Amino acid sequence: MSSHTFVQALLSGILLGCFYAVMALGFSMILGVTRALNLAHGDLIILGGYLGYWLWSGSGLHPLLLVPVAGAALLPLALLCQWLFQRLPEPKELSSLMLTFGLSLLLQNFMLGLWRGEYRIIASEPLTASVRVGSLVLNQGRLIVAAAALILVAALYLGLTRTRWGRAVRATSLDREAAALLGINVDEATRTTFLLAFGLSGGAGVLFATLHYLYPAGGIEVTLLAIVLTIWAGAGRLRSVLLASILLGVIETLTLTWSGPRWRELVVALMLLGSLLARSGGLARSRSR
Amino acid sequence: MPKPLLSVEGVEAGYDDVRVLKSCSLEVRGGEFVALVGPNGAGKSTLLKTITGLLPVKAGTIRLDGERTDGLPPYAIAARGVALIPEGRRLFAPLTVLENLELGAFLPRAESQQEETLRLIFQLFPTLREKVSVPAQVLSGGEQQMLALARGLMARPRLLCLDDPFLGLARAVTNRFCQAIREIMAEGMTILAAGQHVRQLLRLANRAYLLEEGRVVLSGPGAELLKDERLRRSLIELIPGADQTMR
Repeated sequence: MSSHTFVQALLSGILLGCFYAVMALGFSMILGVTRALNLAHGDLIILGGYLGYWLWSGSGLHPLLLVPVAGAALLPLALLCQWLFQRLPEPKELSSLMLTFGLSLLLQNFMLGLWRGEYRIIASEPLTASVRVGSLVLNQGRLIVAAAALILVAALYLGLTRTRWGRAVRATSLDREAAALLGINVDEATRTTFLLAFGLSGGAGVLFATLHYLYPAGGIEVTLLAIVLTIWAGAGRLRSVLLASILLGVIETLTLTWSGPRWRELVVALMLLGSLLARSGGLARSRSR
Repeated sequence: MPKPLLSVEGVEAGYDDVRVLKSCSLEVRGGEFVALVGPNGAGKSTLLKTITGLLPVKAGTIRLDGERTDGLPPYAIAARGVALIPEGRRLFAPLTVLENLELGAFLPRAESQQEETLRLIFQLFPTLREKVSVPAQVLSGGEQQMLALARGLMARPRLLCLDDPFLGLARAVTNRFCQAIREIMAEGMTILAAGQHVRQLLRLANRAYLLEEGRVVLSGPGAELLKDERLRRSLIELIPGADQTMR
């Protein structure tokens, strides 16, 4: 592989990774704060995507403008889910699986009913063009999506480290009881987390829909991606999730360039397995106190 | 007699179906060090968790400065000035010493005094000042216990509860720790401490309560309790090695 192809693949991989990160962050945050695996995570992203598609095809607005709109549209759903989650019996790790699996089925059928089974994509003119940087060719849509993803991650990171509610969320995710003893309202922190995660997922859905086809059952793949990245990075660690996503994107793109699509999934799976064995699991480690 | 800072009356509490505390009553007056001793499973930790709201009160009342606090969530009880240094320290392991301390001052009242409290804490524990940017998880056991205590003090509590503060500490560290607690007491802090290290606790204590099977069975000045035959019997029978801690 020439150095030019390598750089081209590396850059495309980084862009893909940023997109992966924004797909996984909502899931990772909810797991970090509540220990709940949100199996409906991918369906939320697809729902955000459909909302974005619907608004875009109706209004013709630039898809990026619809990111916050789709994010805000999922906030009532976040409050409803948090309300239900609070009433689940212990251990919540298990009961939340039932709740979110049920929610996933509900959302899929809701979307099937509203938008049928047809494939949809936001084929916006300004997103399909290519950009030339020297001799490198980058897809403008991917570039914009990556930039938007980085902005979302950065805003979230600043919010969590620099603000009062962010510190409450962080402390709650590290140790719920210890946080409560310091005067932190952990239920409120949980609500904040649900709102942020759902809002982020709704917005991410619009980005998803500019790159991939939407169909009602498409959320499963996104959920799987989020699970893999979160286990790899360790629950609730924003920077690690970003790093793991970029690494995954780069390795995927390099394998693709190197050996074609045949080996892509095998290499990715082997790499994840290997790294989990090597460092005995990010998820397990982040849970120990 | 002045109104007690904390008064626990006929409190029953526990986990799910297990009632650990059976009609437990005690008082802590302002400026006192009160020790809570008793064999394993007597309900010492359960009582501290109930006072701080981590466990629900099933019967009885808890008053702080005359106001009911039973039934309030933990953050509201913390806001009224009760801090607990929990068993096992429960530090935010990946965060730095300074980040842990800053989270200790989360309450608005504490946040406004943060700089001043930090200065006092670094005077008390100079080691922590040298390690402000070190993650809590790489500190030694003694340093972690210092940080746990310091994080609790950052909240500027009126009542400081300690759960097994000397657990797993070397003798020299324990002595250093007792010294720090005396210094905090001299500033007028009120402390309620539970634990297995009966001798050290009773030496620090103005008064002490002996808990057995969820009830207070004995109370009195620390030094007097230390000589009591029932206390010796209760602890020596039930804790292996208690006779060594006692003498």
